Amino acid sequence: MLTMHFITAAATAILNPVVILALCALAGLGTVLMLPGRKETSWAKVGGVLALAVGLIFGALLVRYTASLNQGGMNFYFWVFAAIAVMSAVRVVTHPRPVYSAMYFVLTVLASAGLFILLWAEFMAAALVIIYAGAILVTYVFVIMLAQQSTTGAKPIAGLADYDDVSRKPVVAAAIGFVLMGVILFVIFDKADGIQRPVHPVNIKVDGVYDGSTQQLGEYLFNDQLVNLELAGLILTISMVGAIVITRRRIVSIDGRDDVVETPEPETLHGPATPVNDNPHSIPVYGTKNPRAKAYPET
Amino acid sequence: METLALQHYLTVGAILFGIGLIGFMTRRNLIVMFLCTELMFQGVAINLIAFGHFWGNFSGQAFTIFVLVIAAAEASLALGLVVLLFRQKNTLDADAWRELKG
Repeated sequence: MLTMHFITAAATAILNPVVILALCALAGLGTVLMLPGRKETSWAKVGGVLALAVGLIFGALLVRYTASLNQGGMNFYFWVFAAIAVMSAVRVVTHPRPVYSAMYFVLTVLASAGLFILLWAEFMAAALVIIYAGAILVTYVFVIMLAQQSTTGAKPIAGLADYDDVSRKPVVAAAIGFVLMGVILFVIFDKADGIQRPVHPVNIKVDGVYDGSTQQLGEYLFNDQLVNLELAGLILTISMVGAIVITRRRIVSIDGRDDVVETPEPETLHGPATPVNDNPHSIPVYGTKNPRAKAYPET
Repeated sequence: METLALQHYLTVGAILFGIGLIGFMTRRNLIVMFLCTELMFQGVAINLIAFGHFWGNFSGQAFTIFVLVIAAAEASLALGLVVLLFRQKNTLDADAWRELKG
């Protein structure tokens, strides 16, 4: 017991707050250099090397910390997944092109799914890949391609808009973010020692037979969290309706494109296909040839 | 056999959260800002699942499901708003909406 206490003290000495904060400051400097801005691209490379070096030093300290926990061998896959997740997260933030940011975010999601599998959460890993990488990111890429404007000009990277090329107050943001990160890390390594692994992991039955965590998660969700689950579905429905209502394009009639029914055009009723003003009563009704028809009866 | 402590997973989650926070504050493209909030969601989800695993119950995974639900709802609504804002000013710059500040 005394040796355990000694080992824990040694571990906290390895990762003392001064070291963590110094590493965070260096990583913040590297991130500032990596963020898009009007400077030479070689500085971004210097920043990348700096951030990578800080990451490697921090990883080595974590490895020493793990060894001092005296729990046996190392877990190779955790380090691979964590490194991929963190590095691609840095690229999400620092890449000037939004499409590449989205792709690096897919990489982060996949690495997080790997971490979830290491934590015996197979269903959550699959759901993360399907929902995030499959649905949300496709939506993001669609919106990027809908709303991206390309400009040409004398810029370090041609074809980028101004707001992608120059960051907003990178020094302040990196300082705040990395101070917060350093404090969180210090609290984690200072206070989280009391939480130890349970003797039996949740998804291993007492006789040693693996029971899938998906089945147990489903039982937990539908026995204990039923109301919350229904509320989640309600929130999804409401957000879908809200998104449709928000983005509904009010110009509904492109001349002759959407109407194949050969109805004689009533004369005297030609008007602009766009709304006359912001009054909702002036919105043309879909499916009629009459742009002056009101969506709602006027009162 | 797994030999890692809870701190390792919490560390990854904290780093992802901090990077997402920095990106949200510095990037000016609205879409990338919302991508960075998704990055922060990722960090929180890793934290929740790690806590659930180490406490030995399924609350963490259930919470992560709700986090995913909120993320999906937020993504759909936020992207709808982004499309709407883009139609108004024909730019994705968050600084173009400076007059919204109080």
